[in-house]
Amino acid sequence: MFHWLEKHPFFFAVGVFLVISFAGLVEILPNFAQQSRPVIGTAPYSTLELAGRHVYIANSCNACHSQLIRPFKSETDRYGHYSLSGEYAYDRPFLWGSKRTGPDLMRVGNYRTTDWHENHMKDPAGVVPGSIMPAYRWMFTNAADIDTAFAEQLTIAEFFSVPYNKPIPMKDGSTKIVKMGGSVAEANALALAEAKLIAADMKDQDVKDAVANGEIPEIVAIIAYLNSLK
Amino acid sequence: MNKLYLWGIIITVLMLLFTYISVAGSEGGLNDDIVNMLAITGAVALVLITVFVVIKYVRQMQVDSATGDLADENWDGIGEYKNEVPTGWAITFLLTMIWGMWYWTVGYPVNSYSQIGEYNEDTAAHNAKFEAQYKDITGDRLVEMGESVFLAECKVCHGINADGIDGKAANLNIRIDASSVKHVIENGSNNQLLGFAMPMPDRNGLMNANAGYAPITDAEIEKVSAYVANGMTGEGADVYAGTCAMCHGADGTGVDSMGPNIKKFDTALVTNVLNFGKKGSIGAMPKFERLNAKQKEAVGAYITSLSE
Ligand code: HEC
Ligand code: HEC
Ligand code: HEC
Repeated sequence: MFHWLEKHPFFFAVGVFLVISFAGLVEILPNFAQQSRPVIGTAPYSTLELAGRHVYIANSCNACHSQLIRPFKSETDRYGHYSLSGEYAYDRPFLWGSKRTGPDLMRVGNYRTTDWHENHMKDPAGVVPGSIMPAYRWMFTNAADIDTAFAEQLTIAEFFSVPYNKPIPMKDGSTKIVKMGGSVAEANALALAEAKLIAADMKDQDVKDAVANGEIPEIVAIIAYLNSLK
Repeated sequence: MNKLYLWGIIITVLMLLFTYISVAGSEGGLNDDIVNMLAITGAVALVLITVFVVIKYVRQMQVDSATGDLADENWDGIGEYKNEVPTGWAITFLLTMIWGMWYWTVGYPVNSYSQIGEYNEDTAAHNAKFEAQYKDITGDRLVEMGESVFLAECKVCHGINADGIDGKAANLNIRIDASSVKHVIENGSNNQLLGFAMPMPDRNGLMNANAGYAPITDAEIEKVSAYVANGMTGEGADVYAGTCAMCHGADGTGVDSMGPNIKKFDTALVTNVLNFGKKGSIGAMPKFERLNAKQKEAVGAYITSLSE
């Protein structure tokens, strides 16, 4: 049979094609399964959260932190329910990570708060003695990039049908609407409104003043993002 | 003798010597342990087989010449013998293909191993064991369990000594500090500390019965805050009796469904804080759904013990 195949390159090519398409199907088909659809309660990121996600990626937090809780009792005791594939539906790219120098952050919004993140990002060793996580003081002064976040929102709403401005079912049976601005100005206004809520729970006076003046420091955006991880 | 065999013998001897030195020279070394002996036997066998096989094939390369029928077709002068696929190899190959088809269509989908299933079994077994082992613990053992829960879950905010790390979270070595009491009186409080939504009114709703039901004044707030923070001692006793006692009890230990214990921590209060979280003048405390009832009781006992 092999001898025959070697003499008939056309059929050989057909064979190769079949084998490779099967391998492709095995990888692609599961993505259409119900389990890969957004889980009830999974909502797209708001403008400010998305800007925070960009800060997270830009600072390579994912090099030290995973976002994937495995189904082992030791992990679910510490981090909460194991991760489901549908929960990543709006993560582009997903930030599973492959190394845990620090703890998993998949659901950190459930057990850490705005004021704690503020203290921790300013000086990790101040709250966790001996922590080797670096301090991120520049986030308290650098401005978050809301325009880019808005551009991403527009793109994913257009091309991937991410449901902005549409009701999304929540676990308790209610629905939630994640707003996306219709213009750059509107997006900035939405982000600022959200930033004000975060800043109200913060202690740093410079950050509070900046938000009151209509600026959004990176720290506010990244805390909004961390709080959204549930 | 062929040089090949000579080299074979030299290498065998060297490798056996090396094996001997590294085993005898290491900790534990050559002893009568059966596993140790088996491992050494294996190592020796490996050396002999390796040398034997290498010699066989090198020898074959030296002396063998190609035989068999050439296939008709050739590629730029490079031809191919029409040798049969070795039987053992062919059978293994076919079996692998058949197994593969079975595995993809029947084997995996039908009897697939479920990681979630194993997780569920694990968790159920662990919970049952926990329940059986710790159901009845009380007193010191409960406090001990509470301390370990505290160290695992709470120290990042409250600090290893439960002192709140310089005001970053509540200092749990005291029931409450004066500035928190003041904040509660001025702004009210709605943290479900009683286990259900029962807000405490802010200063506009707090009337002092000992002062003709007039709304509480700044001076009174100052005094009563210090009084509460000092564990119900000091100056503000009459303000307390006139304004707060009806809900928090004459001694501050709380009234059922009216006001929580503000004199001492107790398990009920800590459990409610863990169930619903808390937001106050110091900051926000998250709720803790992942602790089970016993763990909450234990950490409640531990925290109560800190300020006793
Ligand atoms: C060098 C590796 C490293 C990097 C980079 C890093 N972290 Fe960490 N992180 C750690 C370690 C180690 C801990 C555990 C000690 C601690 O809590 O400080 C930690 C803890 C945390 C925690 C607390 C989690 C918990 O469950 O207590 C958060 C939140 C966090 N990091 C966020 C971030 C963010 C956001 C970034 C990026 C801006 C970041 N980290 C970058 C190493 C890192
Ligand atoms: C109408 C009843 C009522 C009166 C009067 C009242 N309280 Fe309260 N108080 C409550 C309730 C109910 C809560 C719990 C609120 C919650 O769930 O957050 C509470 C909570 C508190 C707390 C917060 C405890 C904690 O752990 O954070 C303090 C402190 C407090 N009261 C002090 C006072 C003082 C001092 C006075 C008198 C000036 C007073 N209360 C008068 C009902 C009352
Ligand atoms: C993310 C940080 C954080 C963690 C983790 C945390 N706490 Fe707190 N906790 C706080 C803050 C902040 C306060 C003060 C709230 C306020 O302003 O009154 C607080 C207050 C409390 C109080 C006082 C409530 C009252 O009525 O006065 C208790 C009791 C408490 N925490 C227990 C715990 C226990 C037990 C754990 C661990 C299972 C824990 N906390 C974990 C941040 C935290």
